[in-house]
Formats: sequence, structure tokens, C-alpha cells
Amino acid sequence: MIRMTPQHGNDDTIGSVLVVGAGIGGMQAALDLANSGFLVHLICDEPSIGGTMSRLDKTFPTGDCAMCMISPRMVESSRHANIKLHTLAAVLSIEGHEGNFVARINQRARYVDAEKCTGCGACEAQCPSKVFDSFNQGLNKRRAIYVLFPQAVPNTRAIDPKACLYLTKNVCRKCEKACEAGAINFADTDQEIELKVGAVILSPGLATYPPEIRREFGFGQYKNVLTALQFERMLSASGPCRGKVARPSDGAHPKRLAWIQCVGSRNAHNANPWCSSVCCMYAAKQSIIAKEHDPDVQSTVFYMELRAFGKDFDKYVEKAKTDAGAIYKRVMVSEVVEDPATGNLFIHFVGDDGKLRNQEFDMVILSIGFEPREDARSFSQIFGISADEYGFAETSKLRPVETSRKGIYVAGTYQGPKDIPETVIQGSGAAAKAMALLGSQRGTEVTEFELSEERDVTGEEPRIGVIVCHCGTNIAGTVDVEKVAKVVAGEPGVAHSETIVYACAPDGQQRIRDLIEEKRLNRVVVASCTPRTHGPLFMDTIREVGLNKFLFELADIREQCSWCHMNDKENATSKAIEIVTMNVAKTRKLLPVTTASVGVEHTALVVGGGIAGMNASLSLAAQGYGVHLVERRRGLGGLLNNVYSTIDGADVQGYLAEVIRKVKANSAITLHLDTTVTAIDGFVGNFETTLASGTGFSHGAVLIASGGIEYEAEEYGYEDSDRVLTQRQLELELHNNGPEKDATYVMIQCVGSREEPDNYCSRICCQDALKNAISIKERCPDARVFVLYRDMRSYGLKEAYYRQARDLGVLFFLYTSELKPQTEITGDKIKVTFLATVLGKDMVIDADYLVLSTGLRPQPDRDELAKKFKLTCNIDGFFLEAHVKLRPVDFPVEGFFLAGLAHAPKNLEETISQSLAAAGRVGALLSNEKLDVSGVIAKHNRDICMSCLACVKKCPFGAPFIDDDGRVSHNEVKCTGCGICAGVCPAKAYQVNYFRDDQLLAMIDSVTDN
Amino acid sequence: MANEEEVKDGLQGPEKKQEVPAGWKANILAFACHYCAFAAADFAGVLRLSYPTNVKVIRLPCTGKLDQIYLLRAFERGVDGVFVAG
Repeated sequence: MIRMTPQHGNDDTIGSVLVVGAGIGGMQAALDLANSGFLVHLICDEPSIGGTMSRLDKTFPTGDCAMCMISPRMVESSRHANIKLHTLAAVLSIEGHEGNFVARINQRARYVDAEKCTGCGACEAQCPSKVFDSFNQGLNKRRAIYVLFPQAVPNTRAIDPKACLYLTKNVCRKCEKACEAGAINFADTDQEIELKVGAVILSPGLATYPPEIRREFGFGQYKNVLTALQFERMLSASGPCRGKVARPSDGAHPKRLAWIQCVGSRNAHNANPWCSSVCCMYAAKQSIIAKEHDPDVQSTVFYMELRAFGKDFDKYVEKAKTDAGAIYKRVMVSEVVEDPATGNLFIHFVGDDGKLRNQEFDMVILSIGFEPREDARSFSQIFGISADEYGFAETSKLRPVETSRKGIYVAGTYQGPKDIPETVIQGSGAAAKAMALLGSQRGTEVTEFELSEERDVTGEEPRIGVIVCHCGTNIAGTVDVEKVAKVVAGEPGVAHSETIVYACAPDGQQRIRDLIEEKRLNRVVVASCTPRTHGPLFMDTIREVGLNKFLFELADIREQCSWCHMNDKENATSKAIEIVTMNVAKTRKLLPVTTASVGVEHTALVVGGGIAGMNASLSLAAQGYGVHLVERRRGLGGLLNNVYSTIDGADVQGYLAEVIRKVKANSAITLHLDTTVTAIDGFVGNFETTLASGTGFSHGAVLIASGGIEYEAEEYGYEDSDRVLTQRQLELELHNNGPEKDATYVMIQCVGSREEPDNYCSRICCQDALKNAISIKERCPDARVFVLYRDMRSYGLKEAYYRQARDLGVLFFLYTSELKPQTEITGDKIKVTFLATVLGKDMVIDADYLVLSTGLRPQPDRDELAKKFKLTCNIDGFFLEAHVKLRPVDFPVEGFFLAGLAHAPKNLEETISQSLAAAGRVGALLSNEKLDVSGVIAKHNRDICMSCLACVKKCPFGAPFIDDDGRVSHNEVKCTGCGICAGVCPAKAYQVNYFRDDQLLAMIDSVTDN
Repeated sequence: MANEEEVKDGLQGPEKKQEVPAGWKANILAFACHYCAFAAADFAGVLRLSYPTNVKVIRLPCTGKLDQIYLLRAFERGVDGVFVAG
């Protein structure tokens, strides 16, 4: 593929990037950069890429297995021509400056030749040395020669030099004898290499808190006390327990499970002072999955504060409570005590009534938090960047992915605790910063990669290979996969059939490639999961060995069989056989499809001139693309016009003014103020847009940054008194006049949030309350500030401000949604009455000011916008991204991207990260000189067409048209392959590639063949 | 020649109530749009919603691709019901 290469500057910048850390954030950055024409060196200190996410069993809210999602990314990262993988490697030093660095890398010896290793594992069986398996959190032991996990990338074993008998004691060499491929190389040595790069992205990931420090919870003393990560490995089908939840003490299935939250977090004395951000949600997820594994499980979660602050998080916790029956107890646990006779555990806590309770459980899971890696201090020194007091990379709220050293960016948990989508966002955001920095050198370091020529299969009899995937236990736990493979082997045209544990993992992919060559297959059917997510991966795989992509079919026996028929194994197996047979029938009729390509307009349309839209525009302009920025108001800045400082005191208005100035001054950005989009036509890479002002332009991508609005309160007498303010109004007041001396401020959280009809968390209100409360108390210590809250959601490093507010004397009182505070306005005073749960009595405060923490709402006209762009919103009215975990700024529709409040409520720092991420994703698309058109399009046969115009009238995309000769022609670029034309054509002049009539009839015939 | 009653019975055939054999299950074929209904069928799996195994889904690029021939062929070959979703 040819990349758009701008005019090369005369500078010394280098068009390659060093990405340090190959977890989900590092991989995202690497792929975005590699896809937009930069060479990436991806450094990973483990023998396999994948990071923390590869250790997880499933992810919420979909319950998708983490491995199924991350595996395709790992495979893509390792196969990408522009990504050079360096595993078992670490950076020793980095010299130079922004745009031109020299990095020295230490590449540790693997002692196994990756070129020769077949991944068969014969060596491992012979290795006598056993050590605790750190990947499985010490739940089992691994050998000295090992693979990090079964789906590892690269799928090559490595020898642990600290455990290997030969390398430590000079005896053994059993692996060498066992290896038929001759891949063992004891002479391997550490090597030092030097890399020249223009920018550096740091995403080294995290460590977890060692829970043995909190001795009162018994970790390390009682066998049935596990960490949440251990439990995650236990749940995993490819983990040490093969997905069986069993107590380490006796192997029994535990029925009564308890989670203890905040272990190692929010505690400055013997743990970490910050909130780890993710534990509340993973505990909810684990309780749901535990229930799926065993319907008799009763889960109890002991928590201090429920921090379900993200998009749709509260709904998921509700699901844990209602569907999985999890009991949530808001108490502090004093200790865990084991009954030595049974191995059961007693949790001691103080109940709601103030009395000491003792509850018995079969297993206790400690929700351990994140902390910087052990080597974080030396890591920051190697890169010459500042770290904060805890060891996280220091960034500013206004520049969330930039470190203190220019040209070095940061993504993921090294910047502070965060979850998967936020890590992915920062990965793309950091990539965007590098793309902007190195824009002039795009395409200079990469090599164009060309696929081998396609094999001509015309005239060959079908030789179909059928691969039936176990998907760990996802399929094999319900469907008898061996039987499926055996039965379909007898179908006509099937030359080979077999089962694979994970077809999508690198070893599975390699097996498929090998089979095509060994068995001379000319068509492949994989029976695994849905073609919607995994189809493209397998199609690429078969193309690599010369088969046309469309000589492939995916039979969905997971989502549409094993997962729906878990309680009916026999019939599920029969159904799986029918599904696979049906797809084999179609596959016999498959024909190769050739794909065309179209040019790309290297310009983006950005809808919304708030801070998200402006930041993204600036990044895109710096990357070298044109931008049309459309804002319906006369002025730029959106909601940020009402914000004066960040929680750490940075000047927001100064920042905003500077951004607006830069946007106005940038010649690549065309501003369209006081107007809206009226119509959009076209397809990815080639859109045509018309504005209400009459202006029209073409562009290659669309970024929706249409923002949100602030909720206008109706509660608590807001409309009746000017002493009832919103947090935003208080911020203005504090900015202009400062706090009132000796006044009493009462803040009420969650006003209009977390209850019907707007039952979601607005995420920013707790931070805003803390910001204003601290501002009042710092400037006027005699003023009194009370905060009435449901859960203080000062997630991540913002916990420090919660602590600071308490230290300054701000008083926090809990209220529940059933029992809201009562207010009574008399003159200049507001009487606030609420039940103080700790005292068990009503408290009355005479307040001078009542401050309402009103949340954020979606744009009132988002449905209209959604309709115009053919996008969808979630139940709360925020735009729905392509995938909540791994594609957080993409829309499912190609060429459309998303950032800011239009996606969900978020603070300024998160909005900036997301706008950069979207700019990175847009940039990766716009960097293409050409895009391949989907092969699934209608083919028009003019010879039998009668030009009746049925298709011209019915096609929603205007693809068929009346040509110069007065007869119908078909524009394949506009065609989406829906097949409406084929349905309405009386002459059957249309056939849709890959969904031809004979192919579909073959499926019908197959499934009715009884 | 059949008497009138027999002819009438014959005519009533399709409407005549038939005994449903024990253990009989309808064989149902679903045609689903790749983008919505097929995705919904996947989502049912993700949510682990349970339904009978006697329904098989054929993926279409869009239900606009549905052709009368498919429906006729399915009924001709004895399916008990066709479900089109998109």
C-alpha cells in the first residue's frame, strides 16, 4: 500500500518510533503508528507481548474472553511489516533530542532459536527444573524452558537462565536432546543493539500490590485467600485450573465467595494512597463470571466506596447485584481468620448496626490494586523524565500523554491507574503526538510489503480444510468438537478436518497455513466464533499462503451455539454439525473475489469546536492533513468556557485561549462557525459534505466531537434562590470574588445523576466538588464545607484531593438515593437536613450556600445528528463506539470517529487524551493513499440486464445509474453489498460476491437435508 | 369417485388439526442481516441467553439480499418455519 508522504523537511527527525512496553496500550500505539507509515520498534521485557490484559479471563460488560480480543492484536503486531518486535529486551539508555534519539537496547538471550522452534513443547516435558509460574500468579509451576502462556507471541519457548540446571550448574541439557528441530542454543548471549528513533512512547504497565503486607487478610497464610488476579487465572479456560474454580486447600468448588475491595489502595499507612480505579469493576465482573461457572455461588463484595464511574459501569454493577445476586456490603473488614479444620474463612467486620459480625466463606478474594513497577524509579531515570512522588510518570492535566522530556510520551497505567479502554485511548493519543512530531518523515523508514501472488484455483475440485476450534472451554465445554470434526470429514469436498484449542492464536494460525500447504487445500472453513470479529483475521491468514481471502467461511458455533445451549450438550453438538456442514456446502461453491481500491481525500471533517474538536484539529493539522472544523455557535471552546482551573490549579482559561489562538492561526484548519452539517454523502476516504451556510467540501474521515451539555437543576430550590448554585457557578464565584468569609457551604452530589431518568454517573462532579471545596478551605480556612455524597468517586490519583479536602476540614456525609437531604430556604439561609448514618440521627446545617453537583447530559439533538451520520447512541443518549474495550474512539461505520463528551461524561484531561486518540486514528486512516474496497459487492451482468430500473429505484446508496448509453450501469465504489438490487432484479442480473444465489441455496439445501 | 364429504375433508386438509407427534420439534431456518440480526444472535450468545437448538441462522449481507427463491426452496424442502430478521 502506498502512503501519503508529505514534503520532507530539511530537519534531522527520524520517521521511526520506539514503543516501550507491549501490553494493550503499547500495541495500540505501535499499530496506529505502523498503519500510518512509521517504523515502530516494540520493546517488551517478557518473552511474549500481551501485558496485563493477556492475564485476564474475561472482560466486562460483554463477557468476551480477554484472550479472544487481545490475540488478534498480538498477531497483527507481530505480523505487521512496519513493527519490529524486540522481546526479552530493555532500554539501557536514550540520548539525543526530540525527533532524533539514539536508544541502546539490551536484548537478553532466549537460548531458543525462534526461526527453528516449532512450538511443539517436547523440550518442556523433559525439563526437570520447576519454578513458580509468574504468569499464573504462582498457582502452578512451570519449567525452566517455557512459553509464557499458550497463545504467546512470538510462539517460541525461552529458557529462564536463573532456573535452568545447565546454565546454573552445568548439568542436564535434556531439552537440547528432546528438540528435534535443533532450536536450543545454549551459546546464545545477551546482545546490545542501537536504534535511531524520532520519538519514544512509554507504556511499561504496572505491578500489583503485594497483599501479604496486610497480614490481617491472611494472604500467604491461608490457602483459600487468593488475589483477584489469581482468581482471574483460575477462571481462565487456558489457565492452570482449566477454568475450574477449585479451592487450593482441598479442590472443592467454593460456594460462598467474598471479595475484599481496596486491598493495597486508598491507604497511605501500609499500602498505596491512590485509588486503583479498576477493582470495583473487576470484582463485579468476577462475581458475574463466578455465577456463570456455578449457579450455586453466592458472592459478597465488601467495599468502602463503589466507584463505577465509567460509561455504563453503574448498570453493570446493577447486573452483578440483580442477575448474579451479588451482595454488596459497605463495611471495612477488620480481619480474615481461617478455620483450620475446614479451611473456611471467617471475615470479621462491623455491621450496619454497629455490632461485630463474623461471616463464614469458602474462599476470599483480595481486590489488589495497581502500583508502579518495581523498576519505575530507574526506568524514569533511564529516559530522563520526571516521576511523581509515587513513581508514576509525571504529566500535566492539560498534557496527559506528554512526559517532562520532549519527544517522549506516555500511555497506560504508567501515567496513573486506569482501565483497558483508557489505556487504549492513551496509546492512540501518544501515537498521535508522535505522528504530529514526525509528520514530515512519514513513510521514510518503512518498507512496502507485498503479498505473494494468489494461487489460481480455477478448475480445481474443492479441497476443503475444516478447523474446529475448542476456544478453550468456550466451545469444547458444551460441543463435542472432536465429533464435529469427525462427522464433517465425511462431507463431499472435505479433504481434511481437525480440532485446534485456539484457532485465532498464532500457533493456530500457523497450523492453518501449514495445513493449506501440506494438504493442498483450496478452501478453508473455521468453526469457531462469529465472522463479524474474527473473519478478517482468518481471511488474512489464508491470503498469506496464497489463497484468495474469499475462499474462506467461518461457521459460528460459539456465539450461536455453545454459548446458547450450555445445558443441552447433545443437541448443541448436533446443531454445531449442521452449522459446519451448512458452511461447508457454501464453501464448495465459493469463488475467488478480486478487490478494487479507491483514493483517499487527506482531509478530515471535525464536528464540534469544543476543546475535543480543537485539539484533534490541531493534531491532524500538525500531522499534515487538512481539517474542516464545524461549530454551530459563533465562538469556539464549548463547555470549557465555563471552567477556570483544573483540580491541580492549572489555568484553564489561559490554556483555552491559547488553543483557540492556535486553531485560528493554523492555515490547514478551515473554520466554519455558526453553521451545521446539513448533508453528508459518500464513503470512507471520500465523503462530500454540505453545510447550512451553503459551503461544500470533500473529506476522507469524520470526527464527531459534538460535546454535551450541563444539567440544569430543578431540584433543591435551584430556581428559587440565588444562594443555590451549581458547582460551575460556584467556580465562577470563587474565581471572581473568592470564598465568602466564615460562610457555610453545603454541597450535594449526584443531583440529576445516578437515578431515573438519567441513571448514569456524570463522572466529573466528585472531582469538581473536591476542587471547589479545597479552593474554599485553602483560601478561607474558617469557612465550613460539607459534602453530602452517595459515593465519592475520586478515582485514580484524584484520591489525593479527597484526602487533602478531609485534611483541610471538609466534612463528608453519606446519603442514599432513597433518603435524600431535605432543604428549606428562608431568606439568605438554607436549612439542610439529612440522616447522618454514623450517628443514626438527623443532622441539620444552616447553610449560606447550597451547591448542587449537577452532572452532564448528552446534546438534546443527538438523535438528529445520529440519524444524519447513520450512527447509534446508547440508552443514555451518548454515542456508541465500535467496541467498548478495544475500539473506544472508532464508530462501527468506517471512516467515523468519536471524542469527548459526545462519547460519555469525562473530565478535561480525559477529553484531551481522547481527542488526541481520535486524531491518531483519523490520521492513520488519512495517511493511506488508497483504500481497498470491500470485496462483498454486487456484480452487475449487463448482458442479461433489461434496464428495467428496479435497482436504480431501490438502491439506497445510488450505486446503479443510467449510463450514457441509456442503459443501467453499476458504480461498485458506492456499493455496500447489501444485495437489495439482487433481490429486486427480475432478470437476476446481480449477484453479490460471497453471497451468490447458488452459495446460499447450497446452505438451505444442506440444512434441510434430512 | 370420492363422496362429497371426502372431498370436503381433503379441501380442509391444510386447516385440519393434525396430531403433533410426541417429541416433534419445528425445524426453523433464520435469515439474518450481518449487521443487525446476526449481531443480535451473537449478542444473545454473549449474554448466554438460552433458546432451543432447532434454529439455524444463514447470514446475509442485508435482509435486502433475501430472495423469494430462498423462502420457496426452504419450504419446499420441508422446513417448518422461516424467520427473517434484519
